[in-house]
Amino acid sequence: MAKIGVFICHCGENIAAKVDCTKLAAAMGEHPGVAVSVEYKYFCSDPGQESVKKAIRDNNLTGIVIAACSPRMHEATFRKACAEAGLNPYLCEIANIREQCSWVHTDSDMATEKAMDITRSMVEKVKRNNILQPIEVPVTRRALVIGGGIAGLQAALDIANAGQEVVLVEREPSLGGHMAQLSETFPTLDCSQCIMTPRMVETAQHPKIRLLTYAEVESVDGYIGNFKVRIRMKSRYVDMSRCTGCGDCITKCPAKKISSEFDCGLGKRTAIYTPFAQSVPNMPVIDTASCIYFKNGKCKMCQKSCQLNAINFEMQDEFIDLEIGAIVVATGFQIQNTAVYGEYGYGKFPDVITGLQFERLASASGPTAGKILRPSDGKEPQNVVFIQCAGSRDPSKGVRYCSKICCMYTAKHAMLYAHKVHGGKTHIFYMDIRAAGKGYDEFTRRAIEEDEASYIRGRVSKVWQENGKLMVRGVDTLLGKPVTVVADMVVLATAMVPQSDAKEFAKNIGIAYDEYGFYNEAHLKLRPVESSTAGVFLAGACQSPKDIPDSISQASATASKVLALFSKEKLEREPVIAINNEATCAGCWGCVLACPYNAIEKKDIRDRSGRLIKQVAFVNPGLCQGCGTCVSFCRSNSLDLAGFTEKQIFAEVMGL
Amino acid sequence: MITQERYRTTVKELLANGSIKMAIGYRLGSTPDRRRPLFIRTSEEADQLVLDSTCMTNLSGYLVTEGLLSDEKKVGIFLRPEGIRSINILAAEYQLNADQIVIFGFDSTGRDVRPLDGRNVGEFSKLLNEIKEHPLQIVKEPLHWRIEKMNAKERFDFWQEEFSRCIKCYACRQACPMCYCRRCIVDSNQPQWINTSSHTLGNFEWNIVRAFHLSGRCVQCGNCDRACPVNIPLRLINQRMANEVLDGFDHFAGLSPTQEPVLASFKKDDTETFIL
Ligand SMILES: Cc1cc2nc3c(=O)[nH]c(=O)nc-3n(C[C@H](O)[C@H](O)[C@H](O)COP(=O)(O)OP(=O)(O)OC[C@H]3O[C@@H](n4cnc5c(N)ncnc54)[C@H](O)[C@@H]3O)c2cc1C
Ligand code: SF4
Ligand code: SF4
Ligand code: SF4
Ligand code: SF4
Repeated sequence: MAKIGVFICHCGENIAAKVDCTKLAAAMGEHPGVAVSVEYKYFCSDPGQESVKKAIRDNNLTGIVIAACSPRMHEATFRKACAEAGLNPYLCEIANIREQCSWVHTDSDMATEKAMDITRSMVEKVKRNNILQPIEVPVTRRALVIGGGIAGLQAALDIANAGQEVVLVEREPSLGGHMAQLSETFPTLDCSQCIMTPRMVETAQHPKIRLLTYAEVESVDGYIGNFKVRIRMKSRYVDMSRCTGCGDCITKCPAKKISSEFDCGLGKRTAIYTPFAQSVPNMPVIDTASCIYFKNGKCKMCQKSCQLNAINFEMQDEFIDLEIGAIVVATGFQIQNTAVYGEYGYGKFPDVITGLQFERLASASGPTAGKILRPSDGKEPQNVVFIQCAGSRDPSKGVRYCSKICCMYTAKHAMLYAHKVHGGKTHIFYMDIRAAGKGYDEFTRRAIEEDEASYIRGRVSKVWQENGKLMVRGVDTLLGKPVTVVADMVVLATAMVPQSDAKEFAKNIGIAYDEYGFYNEAHLKLRPVESSTAGVFLAGACQSPKDIPDSISQASATASKVLALFSKEKLEREPVIAINNEATCAGCWGCVLACPYNAIEKKDIRDRSGRLIKQVAFVNPGLCQGCGTCVSFCRSNSLDLAGFTEKQIFAEVMGL
Repeated sequence: MITQERYRTTVKELLANGSIKMAIGYRLGSTPDRRRPLFIRTSEEADQLVLDSTCMTNLSGYLVTEGLLSDEKKVGIFLRPEGIRSINILAAEYQLNADQIVIFGFDSTGRDVRPLDGRNVGEFSKLLNEIKEHPLQIVKEPLHWRIEKMNAKERFDFWQEEFSRCIKCYACRQACPMCYCRRCIVDSNQPQWINTSSHTLGNFEWNIVRAFHLSGRCVQCGNCDRACPVNIPLRLINQRMANEVLDGFDHFAGLSPTQEPVLASFKKDDTETFIL
């Protein structure tokens, strides 16, 4: 006989203000199989939990329903209480009468009715619940960090400094990401390279970090604590065990006119190259698309110049298979293709540049050695116009969000320009100045007050060229009239967008993303660094536009999550897994294909003499994640999900 | 007639030299325009073989009879193109090994019957791809177009009317070569998801479940609607589902023995990315 306890929580006023809890408790008390039905102000509190435990013991309850908030909030809490009272924790169910009822309804009577339906259906379910035991799986204590920008470096260093192994995979020839391209950084104006390069070196030399540059993640299988990851080492054509980074090959390479990605097209590089002088590792790669030898079979100048015989034109991509316990995704962002703004003339007028290009101009290691010189004629611009939100907050261009950093870096650019070009004039078109952050508002005020940046509130409609000058037409919404500013150079604060392959990559490693391609966190407020997949964490701008301090904080947060995971030898997993009925399985292997975790195997059924009678599907409990995909696929209804069996769900539905 | 005679000879030869242990074909039925299945093991039985334009039934369902293929010997079977497609599906769903099946293909226009070239299912892939590009006669059925023109409400009413006649005899399921499950979901009663009584709701549940279970698998052989004692035009529902998977996922059921089942697989460029 079922003896179910129903515990109805007021959640202070959250539930009780809409749902008549007394009436609900009385109604549930009448329901067949319910032995106890009580209400209380806060069941999650210490006395609340104690009263649940006492009720379980005193009445020998066979199952309990907590009618309260979402199971996401307190399922774990009450399961624990259950276990402490000697009842199997999986005999506890939560009826969500807050998020799914009191919070979303205005009519009290109807809300009470609905709360009864919800609670009753959970009572019907819990009556059919079975005792389940958590599954234990071993944890591989080795983390994979994908992306060697500042976020990835921070995560890798934090994990490694705590003594755990890290594999860091970066797809470019060098570590660094975007931060390596920056000149000076807000809000302190310290030199980006000076704070970045030491970390790159520390990472490369760390005994616990295995650094794989010019490498990409080919595939990820498995699950939390036990991922199997395959890495593709793209062929550099330079043998890293021999190369010392002397750079002789680079000087000799005759293909010198290749537009440098690192300098955003403002500088040139050779076909065998390192992205920048401080690259880590400081070993070149051959860009086969530009190499003369790869194009027409003749040259090999680099090979001849290399004293150490490090250059190997026959090199092939290699694969490395890794066992990994946790993954930190720190793949960063890219800037929007500004060509979508035809009206601003990017690509048409050489002196209309992006903010990132401005960083290269202002950088001491950049193509102009830190002098602000305009690309068209190399002259120092006397008038510079900055256009903020050139891409962000513009639904018509597909970016509704705020890129968060542009207000700050535009103010920074105005300052750097003022410091470098005395007497130069800046105009900044903006929509709002968003400078929330420690020291941020002070920073933009400084740009206005000390460095005389002239802010014009309004959008720019058009940029065109007239008599060798750039004409910027916009509107000053505070004065309510159109303005035209004559400029020598225009800098666009381009939107931060996801990497172009972000969605593909997410599918490859099995995490969720939003409409733009930024990776989704498990819960925007409560679990901001976990991805939707257990054991995969998110750091930096791949999750949403972020500045350096935010990227670093999030990276350290992922490190703490990884370390918490690695603090145990075994991991307890929910026993919610699929089970197959071998008698009815037709062996169609649809489920084998459908399972996103490759958890289903083919199993031979043999008679006593060992003769094969048939093959059926077998769910590997270690691999199954309980997603239920196979259950919904199976035509013969042979698969079922523990904890959410068809019987339980059916009873739940019929209880409504 | 010539086709029939030739095939009789072929079957006799193959039986005699041991290439096949049995051939599944047609023989005369109870009325002049009906044929019934014939299981040929001897030369005498081969003489009963009939092959004409009234041989409509897709015989492939007999191949999955428990134990028939477990000795790994080959079995011959008379099939129209739709039947050949169902061999591919059965192979793709691991219900049989396509190499064990020797196909005696045929097709008919009017009263003329002609043989199809090939014995192994792989040899028909060109033909099947052509059929994919130029879908079959069914599109010519006037009822199909009448239903296509209906709005959702009219269509619902139409099918409700049709399904109201269903007596839950499950003849459609027994006749369909794709319905090979050891236990059909309607027979599962713990819990009873599908109502077994033949009232409107129960009938709807059953027929819709069947339509879903056959989407991306039905080959339009027509076994089901020929079997239905109350003449529900079942093939049209499955035709509609076939069109859906063709439009949505470029999936034409039964193109090859390694084709992945459309509802169990997903490609990164699928229009719906609901799995992840
Ligand atoms: C013009 C401009 C000025 C800025 N100025 C400032 C400033 O002054 N102060 C400040 O705080 N912030 C500033 N920022 C923001 C700063 O650049 C970012 O916050 C920071 O770079 C984010 O770091 P990240 O590691 O998340 O991403 P990234 O720097 O983008 O690094 C990502 C790394 O991952 C690698 N990667 C990507 N995909 C893969 C893959 N599939 N496999 C392997 N590796 C991969 C990339 O190659 C890259 O190295 C500025 C940004 C811009 C555009
Ligand atoms: S889908 Fe169902 S019938 Fe097919 S193999 Fe899996 S469990 Fe068996
Ligand atoms: S529930 Fe089924 S589909 Fe999902 S992981 Fe488990 S076995 Fe695979
Ligand atoms: S559903 Fe009907 S038409 Fe389709 S394969 Fe089955 S029997 Fe043939
Ligand atoms: S054959 Fe016709 S009557 Fe029988 S179950 Fe199928 S649809 Fe219903």
